[in-house]
Amino acid sequence: MSEPAVTHDSPPRISVSSTSTLANRTGSWKYIRPRYQDGVAPCNARCPTGVDVEGYMNLLREGRIADALDLVLRENPMPAITGRVCHHPCELACNRAQYDDPVAVHLVEREMGDRVLSMPPPVLRRTHTEKVAVVGSGPAGLACAYHLARLGYGVTVFEEAAKAGGMLRQGIPDYRLPRDILDRQIRWFSDAGIEFRCNTRIAGEYADKLLRDYAAVFVATGAHRSRPLGVTGEDSPRVMAGLDFLKAVNRGEAPEIGRRVVVVGGGNTAIDCARTALRLGATPVVLYRRTRQEMPAIAAEVDEAMREGIAFEFLAAPRAVHHLQGRQAGVECERMVLGEPDASGRRRPVPSNAGTFSILAETVLTAIGEEPGLEALPLHAAAPDQALIDELGATPAAGIWAGGDAAGIERTVSDALGSGKVAAIGIDRAIRTRNGEEVPPNDIAELRWSGGNISMSRWRGDDPVQRHGATNEVVGFDRLNTAHFVHVTRQREARDADHVTVEPVGTAFERATDGTAFDFGEVNPGLTAMQALEEARRCLNCGVCNQCELCLILCPDVAITRQEGGTGFDIDLNYCKGCGVCAMECPRGAIVMTREGL
Amino acid sequence: MKKVIVGNHAVSLGVKLARCEVISAYPITPQTQVVEMLSEMCASGELNARYIKVESEHSAMAACVGASAAGVRAFTASSSHGLVYMHEMLHWAAGGRLPIVMANVNRALGPGWNIWVDQSDSLSQRDTGWIQLYCETNQEVLDTTIQAFRLAEAVDLPVMVVLDAFYLSHTAEPVDIPDQALVDEFLPQRNATHKLDTADPHAFGALVRPEDYTEMRHDQQLAMARAMTAFDAIEQDWARLTGRSWPALEAYHADDADLLLLTSGTITSTARDVIDERRAAGDRIGLLKMKMFRPFPTAALRTALRGVRRVAVLDRNVSPGHGGIFAEEIRSALYDMPLDDRPMLFGYVLGLGGRDVTPAVINDIIDSTRTAVSPEREDLWVGVKS
Ligand code: SF4
Ligand code: SF4
Ligand code: SF4
Repeated sequence: MSEPAVTHDSPPRISVSSTSTLANRTGSWKYIRPRYQDGVAPCNARCPTGVDVEGYMNLLREGRIADALDLVLRENPMPAITGRVCHHPCELACNRAQYDDPVAVHLVEREMGDRVLSMPPPVLRRTHTEKVAVVGSGPAGLACAYHLARLGYGVTVFEEAAKAGGMLRQGIPDYRLPRDILDRQIRWFSDAGIEFRCNTRIAGEYADKLLRDYAAVFVATGAHRSRPLGVTGEDSPRVMAGLDFLKAVNRGEAPEIGRRVVVVGGGNTAIDCARTALRLGATPVVLYRRTRQEMPAIAAEVDEAMREGIAFEFLAAPRAVHHLQGRQAGVECERMVLGEPDASGRRRPVPSNAGTFSILAETVLTAIGEEPGLEALPLHAAAPDQALIDELGATPAAGIWAGGDAAGIERTVSDALGSGKVAAIGIDRAIRTRNGEEVPPNDIAELRWSGGNISMSRWRGDDPVQRHGATNEVVGFDRLNTAHFVHVTRQREARDADHVTVEPVGTAFERATDGTAFDFGEVNPGLTAMQALEEARRCLNCGVCNQCELCLILCPDVAITRQEGGTGFDIDLNYCKGCGVCAMECPRGAIVMTREGL
Repeated sequence: MKKVIVGNHAVSLGVKLARCEVISAYPITPQTQVVEMLSEMCASGELNARYIKVESEHSAMAACVGASAAGVRAFTASSSHGLVYMHEMLHWAAGGRLPIVMANVNRALGPGWNIWVDQSDSLSQRDTGWIQLYCETNQEVLDTTIQAFRLAEAVDLPVMVVLDAFYLSHTAEPVDIPDQALVDEFLPQRNATHKLDTADPHAFGALVRPEDYTEMRHDQQLAMARAMTAFDAIEQDWARLTGRSWPALEAYHADDADLLLLTSGTITSTARDVIDERRAAGDRIGLLKMKMFRPFPTAALRTALRGVRRVAVLDRNVSPGHGGIFAEEIRSALYDMPLDDRPMLFGYVLGLGGRDVTPAVINDIIDSTRTAVSPEREDLWVGVKS
């Protein structure tokens, strides 16, 4: 071997083409091409309030907390409350559930909500001369009022009770929604410029008169009358409407219920009644005519009730309440079995031949459903049991919209919020059309998160999230590439109660060390700010490009480049040879392959 | 600053100090700790590099090839089956004249499945065009890792830093970790002559006609020759900055020795102890440690062996059908020496698959080398059970 100089004198001899490879248009090889398109995350499509869950999780991941808060507040004015009481169907739909555990969306939302309440409310500038009246200050009324105020209208909320909040205040117990949070939320609304008139009942002629002063009226008077059991002995003084019981306790009273309490029903009111009775020192039994699986109550609430030691008597229906001596009643029950599915898809309970049995009780609380109050509506605006509304919440009566429990929606806080938002959009659209404004002739379906609720951002056309070739398709788990994810344990609250081994500090369970002394303090301690950010990072951003740049790195033809001035990417079809690597690798299904020419 | 660290982490720290910019690797025992630590450094931001996860060693080297062609400093680590799996890409790296650095933890190849030290994995990559440097201590591992980047970039050739499984990879020793400023002075930023640039794309590694192929290979050979000299210069510079020196061919009590042991890797340390004891008893024995295997230090070997009577080469590897690979190569290097100057060469094959090479084993080798009339065969297998 000869030994030339050490210096890096001449470049190494390597094979490099002398001409640019740009001459070789590899794009001519392809017969399928990638399409860069954001879809819709399942959580967004399932959120009854229409929150851009994926969007704000992504902003949190990027550390843009103020932008994330704004994105939430565009669609949901009270994340502190929904984060506590929403049944969070987003988490049922969450793709991450099929990977490890669903993202704890409600807990992140709750932490964001608490941040919102500790900040000054937004200045909602009045840009329209019109005012709107909202009747009822429950979640539907509050949402409608907020969204209208945010759209620039003057809003007055009328409430029959002494304090605003509707069912949030009267029906939901303290241990799920502390009064302090609710009070701060209401103050936040009034500080933002919404006018509240409490102790004001709107019914009959008053309802008619509202339209003289207001351009539109939104009626959300809820469902406050407990449905009767329809059994003999129901008029016994030992039988009490569950909702009345909750209202009394929420007013600060302590009704005499004795020790043994039977709660009839399987919905949230029933569980709330049982857990409230437990906290007053009673030993409740929940009587439900179907099984655990068919219970309409929020599953986590049922889990918690069971862990608090509350007894459940399933497949049992009351047949009569017998007045016994002293303050006792005997609840005669019949054993049921499950038969054919009914209209709701749940199997119908039918009497078995097993005969009857009796439970002794000092108090029977009924919680088998509530009827709406429709007094504020003109007759032609309502069917016997609910307000009649169209897609955007309008009733057949001119100028009158309706929503919430009174309008036959799903009876949840978030659905009520969603219906309030929809009506706000309906009212905005009607007023602006009346004023001769050009209102985009939007197909309502296009305003929805893929069949879910309407997005306020879509209605206003000012979505702060830049979407790339957006489609309205839900991106399911099968479209994700899990190779790029790592397993991360969900913060607190595993998917079901079986996962809980150690009680997290601060929960009612941890406080009740002897297993009995449950108090009215909040059961769930929520997440710290750090934990919430950690949890947000678990979000997979399903269907929406989050700029991970994998496609950019992996495209073998360097056909993908950063968009100039934008947040996304361009695919140069002159060089893309249709290999499909980008679509295959994109962790969140934001690139799909389509046939050439389509 | 001195720290007690395992050899694997000595590699990681060397790579970090070298400000490597792209790391791509696939885990394999006993190498995994190297890239584990590097991945943590990348995740924490302690090292400003991109860590590319891959599904195989073949892809790991492919990623390094791409990164290095784009002008950045690239590193991978492997061992045994991982290394032989990337065999094809080793040629691409070397033929593409890419100064990639790799750490290979010497480990036996299966079957039978074996995770212990054996040099057959790296030696079977002999002809891929990689520079190969075998280390004896964790300090040498760290220093060599840093030097490797400078050497690679000086001659546009990839460098493999080789260390023994477990004896180095998993054994902790005090190691002096140089300051970043010192390393920065020693190793300036890479300055690539040819860069793959997506804004002005050219085809790299494309078709070369028979008219030009020979010249490419010849240029590679010339670069290997330059690497020899470059290494010595780099070594001296390192010694100037740190006071530590790890020559390509190190002599230990060799001047007046009538018998020289020829070793590489950690067997060297054991042999040093044996030599110390024997010297104390008046025995004129010495040692040559071969750090550099490619390029092969032919000239230095001839000089060092001129006039020595007997040489015992200790090979922790074997080329089946021939013998120990170091012994073969040394034999061929000595062929052109005048017969009178040329030592008698005993090639021992020992310590395969991690079998311990103890002072007693080395003493036996010394005794039988001394007493034999001539080597019985080219491959003298040590301790083979019947
Ligand atoms: S992972 Fe994130 S984006 Fe995907 S469904 Fe769950 S919360 Fe929504
Ligand atoms: S791979 Fe990453 S950057 Fe590319 S489209 Fe998918 S999410 Fe966006
Ligand atoms: S990875 Fe690149 S070449 Fe392959 S389909 Fe996507 S854009 Fe086209």
